[in-house]
Amino acid sequence: MRLLAGLLAFCGSLAAQLTPEQKELNTASFEKVWTTIRDKHWQKNPGGLDWQAIHDEFRPKIDHAETNDQARALIREMLGRLKQTHFAVFAANVYEDVGAVSMGDGSSGIDVRVIDDRAVVTNVDPGSPADKAGVKPGWVVVSVDTKELAPAIQKLKADPAIHEIALERAVLARLTGPMGGTIQVTFLKGLDAGLTVMDLPLAAPRGQVAKFGNLPPTHVWTETKRLGNTGYIRFNMFLDLVHVMASFSDTVNSCLKQCDGLIIDLRGNPGGIGGMALGMAGFFLDKPDQKLGTMYLRETSLKFVVNPRPEVFMGPVAILVDGTSASTSEIFAGGLKDLGRARIFGTRTAAAALPSVIEKLPNGDGFQYAMANYISDGGQTLEGNGVAPDVEIKLTREALLAGHDPVEDAALEWIKKQRSPQ
Amino acid sequence: MIRQIALFVLPAVLGFADDALPKAETILDHYIEVTGGKAAYEKRKTEVAKGTLEMTAQGVKAAVTRYSAAPDKSYSLLEIEGAGKIESGSGNGIAWDNSAMMGPHLKSGEEKTQALREAMFNAQLNWRKVYSKVETTGVETIDGEECYKVVLTPETGKPETQYFQKKSGLAVKMTMTLVNQMGEVPAEVLISDYKDFGGVLIPTKQINKAAGQEFTTTIQSVSVNEEIPPERFEPPAEIKALLDKK
Repeated sequence: MRLLAGLLAFCGSLAAQLTPEQKELNTASFEKVWTTIRDKHWQKNPGGLDWQAIHDEFRPKIDHAETNDQARALIREMLGRLKQTHFAVFAANVYEDVGAVSMGDGSSGIDVRVIDDRAVVTNVDPGSPADKAGVKPGWVVVSVDTKELAPAIQKLKADPAIHEIALERAVLARLTGPMGGTIQVTFLKGLDAGLTVMDLPLAAPRGQVAKFGNLPPTHVWTETKRLGNTGYIRFNMFLDLVHVMASFSDTVNSCLKQCDGLIIDLRGNPGGIGGMALGMAGFFLDKPDQKLGTMYLRETSLKFVVNPRPEVFMGPVAILVDGTSASTSEIFAGGLKDLGRARIFGTRTAAAALPSVIEKLPNGDGFQYAMANYISDGGQTLEGNGVAPDVEIKLTREALLAGHDPVEDAALEWIKKQRSPQ
Repeated sequence: MIRQIALFVLPAVLGFADDALPKAETILDHYIEVTGGKAAYEKRKTEVAKGTLEMTAQGVKAAVTRYSAAPDKSYSLLEIEGAGKIESGSGNGIAWDNSAMMGPHLKSGEEKTQALREAMFNAQLNWRKVYSKVETTGVETIDGEECYKVVLTPETGKPETQYFQKKSGLAVKMTMTLVNQMGEVPAEVLISDYKDFGGVLIPTKQINKAAGQEFTTTIQSVSVNEEIPPERFEPPAEIKALLDKK
């Protein structure tokens, strides 16, 4: 038995030892990470460090790294010296999961969030294949095309470098496929119900295709409604500027003297054109020269100043967010929160206020970095911290199954109290 | 003929400057000569320029139209693919911009001063009205050509630097600090592809670099002395509403 253990250990060490080519790839990966930060970090001396000295300290260690894990740990240690978030390296196998892009344009119309380590349906697009098949919020997506989601969720959650938004995207990617195709989804319906298998056709996603610059064509939709005497607007991205701004403007203007309050639902909104946050904030601020925050680049800093609209809505504004509200959503929500013009409901946002990029390194690992820093008007660094809600409310499967949206309910309750203070 | 002589003589005169730099006044006046001459500039009363703007790295494209009229009126329209219109204008002592994205904005302070300065018609000809101090500070090589470096300081606001080729007398580069609501942004503009429109040479290509971004504007047509209806320079309703509030 001892001999077998020794053989296994020997084989293990053989398997882990790097070939000269692999060592070269690790060195090239280190150089790419170091150079990227030298050239693109918003501080000339990244993190206040002598970046060249950092190179001179770590490069020999990388050259002597015996395994990929050692090399990755060294690069992570170097990034850790920055003491800044959104600088991370993912192992190649995790990068493949994080980078899981949509399998096609087709959508079943299901939106999910990971709740208690399970992919739970939180929304079903009206008229979508899932809607027609009777899929309901609160159901658990157990597997897609016989592949269980739980192992992938566990693997992604186990890596501290993976943020909620990346996790949700990776899960959602498994629910897509070629338009006209079909996915077989196994659901856990109710709290006590058994498993149900459904073949869901994949149709065009909700909304209309918007194109902007090099961004891939994206389906953008808006949803507006009245909840009693409260206005409500939700849009999935800060894109399709002409239509989304028109819809936003119409919603606010229709509320000017009539609504008790307004709900802006940014859950699941990953951002888009940053300027739209400023334009939208202008509907809620009546004084000039107020700003949502400041973005710090290497050469300069940019103040995100808001231009008040000729007519503004000064009633209560509730913004709904979750861990998938990112970038422009965070700039908008965090800024209006700091300026005292909105109350935030839900869970902490994605903490990805900046255009952080994930690139593949020569050794196959993923490298994430941010190119600027953004400080909200109240002095909060949004990157890495996100926007903390004023009222933290987590979705629960039970509430969703009962047809409730506890986040929206809490916002409505707050608006009601503003109208008639207790 | 006079212009041809000037083209021939002035570079030679400026050539003395290898040891002693020529006066900035001489360089700026020479620019007027090599781009058409004072008389040609003075014949111009309006200008409608049409072109494109492209941010190659981001894949963003826009159509640009700029209306200008003497002495100080301007209206620019940027139509960005996928992001709608951005309008801006100056005249009658106000400067503004407006878009569905950012909302209406009345410029003030240094931003307003800079916008009004840029809106001055034939600003090149009238540089003495625009700048209170001009100074030649050196020679730099740009794209293999020696250029005089001239620092121009306005009555109020930050100085800008222009680079004029020794050989041609044409401006090929500018550096300045752009002032807007977002702050003060150092910018560099590379100027090229001069073409004759109504007797005056106008650069039709500008590569602008600011805040880590780069965009190229290309002028495709310039209509000189076209009649522009006065309402073209009227600010839009959103701006008028802001003015009424003041």
